[in-house]
Amino acid sequence: MEFATLHSILTVILFVGFVGLIIWAYGKGRKKDFDEAANLVFDDEPEQTKPEQKQKQESDHE
Amino acid sequence: MSQTKSLEVDYNYSVVRLFTLATILWGIVGMAVGVLIAAQLYWPALNFDIPWLTYSRLRPLHTNAVIFAFGTSALMGTAYYIVQRTCQVRLFAEKLAMFTFWGWQTVIVLAAITLPLGITQSKEYAELEWPIDILITVVWVSFAVVFFGTLVKRKTSHIYVANWFYGAFIITVAALHLVNNMVIPLNLVKSYSIYAGAVDAMIQWWYGHNAVGFLLTAGFLGMMYYFVPKQAGRPVYSYRLSIVHFWALIALYIWAGPHHLHYTALPDWTQSLGMVMSVILFVPSWGGMINGIMTLSGAWHKLKTDPILRFLIVSLSFYGMSTFEGPMMAIKSVNALSHYTDWTVGHVHSGALGWVAMITIGATYYLIPTLFNQGRMYSIKLINTHFWLHTIGVVLYIVAMWISGIMQGMMWRAVNTDGTLTYSFVESVEASMPFYLMRFIGGVFVLVGMFVMAYNAYKTLRAENHSLKPVAEAVA
Repeated sequence: MEFATLHSILTVILFVGFVGLIIWAYGKGRKKDFDEAANLVFDDEPEQTKPEQKQKQESDHE
Repeated sequence: MSQTKSLEVDYNYSVVRLFTLATILWGIVGMAVGVLIAAQLYWPALNFDIPWLTYSRLRPLHTNAVIFAFGTSALMGTAYYIVQRTCQVRLFAEKLAMFTFWGWQTVIVLAAITLPLGITQSKEYAELEWPIDILITVVWVSFAVVFFGTLVKRKTSHIYVANWFYGAFIITVAALHLVNNMVIPLNLVKSYSIYAGAVDAMIQWWYGHNAVGFLLTAGFLGMMYYFVPKQAGRPVYSYRLSIVHFWALIALYIWAGPHHLHYTALPDWTQSLGMVMSVILFVPSWGGMINGIMTLSGAWHKLKTDPILRFLIVSLSFYGMSTFEGPMMAIKSVNALSHYTDWTVGHVHSGALGWVAMITIGATYYLIPTLFNQGRMYSIKLINTHFWLHTIGVVLYIVAMWISGIMQGMMWRAVNTDGTLTYSFVESVEASMPFYLMRFIGGVFVLVGMFVMAYNAYKTLRAENHSLKPVAEAVA
């Protein structure tokens, strides 16, 4: 196969993969997992020192 | 992911402490050299006719000190801190982690000795000669082992996004370093690149721009994704956006290098490709900026009282500004005006002093009390003073370089009706002089700010354990 053809196919695969990633990331079912993941950053703090709004906060967005 | 489990984890802070203190030290050293060479451009006699102090030798010393000593010490320290905290597990291979600290400091000292002596590969940001490059490789592989080893033994099921950025930074910098430093040694202090001509230039700027993309961007975005939510007390604006912009960013950055070689011997199609990729790069860059800044939505009032948060958020504004400016400057017709002028220097510093230094300073102010058993820094007022010194310094610097750069570009391209050049080169140098003074003054502001931080850190370290209460408690 020609070099240029191979690279064209690769580009298309990468593009389709990226579109797939967006669809996956913005899928409805993922919201809960992502909210949990976003709050992972606060899991290293002792409960009582957390300001109240930090508690497993739901993302206001999307 | 229970809340209590994490409290039992005994994190390894000793290596993080060392890196954090090294960050402050090398920040001062690197920026002091920067101020000196800025002064040399205005008062050329300041090289004292000593070869070791000439601009040409101190300039790479400055760039190496700020990128690899200041910036990379900060990245290694925060990587070790964040990977432990978000994986809720102690560092993997702790002795190796300690080796990365001392190994990296050795690299820095060797750079500080060899560069003023004029020992260099003559590749921008890859000046260090081959024996030092081998040491860098050993340290970097150790860094990767510690980082990824800690990820492997994590207690959490998910790998937090900050670690993705750190991981991409570690892997890509390793690849860049190995490929660009392929040389045939002549002796201990001299080597020749295995690449020739335009290929060598292409490899160099593939390296050079991805040092910007993966060290100065991806690494510090990892820092942003931990410290901005922490300091704001809110989770990141959109976790989905963080995933999408991560993959877009790392897929695109790798192609942007050729914009450093517009209108050179590089094949024209390669230049155009580099330009297009650089322009698209604007999108994922702003994805990261928006995600960081919008984390504060609904809590904007915190900016009024919290100077640490101000450092973090203003750093993102500079990130947004320079990632808009960068793609614009990568367009060939704009580049025809901007390239080789002070505009480029201004652009680099809006990224380096605005984005990289400010996010690092914010993170350092967050880390010092945490690492040294205090509730807060010794003086919040001094953090605020530092914020304004730094901001004024950066603005003076980049405004001076914009004016000087655009003026140089216009003067160099001006032609008379008979086709001869309107200005000689030295006339453009003369016209730039007032702006070189302005840039020097901006640099002094930034450097003074760094000394304020060092003093504040010193007082925090000297204070009795837990004697400095967190702000909220102190007020109440």
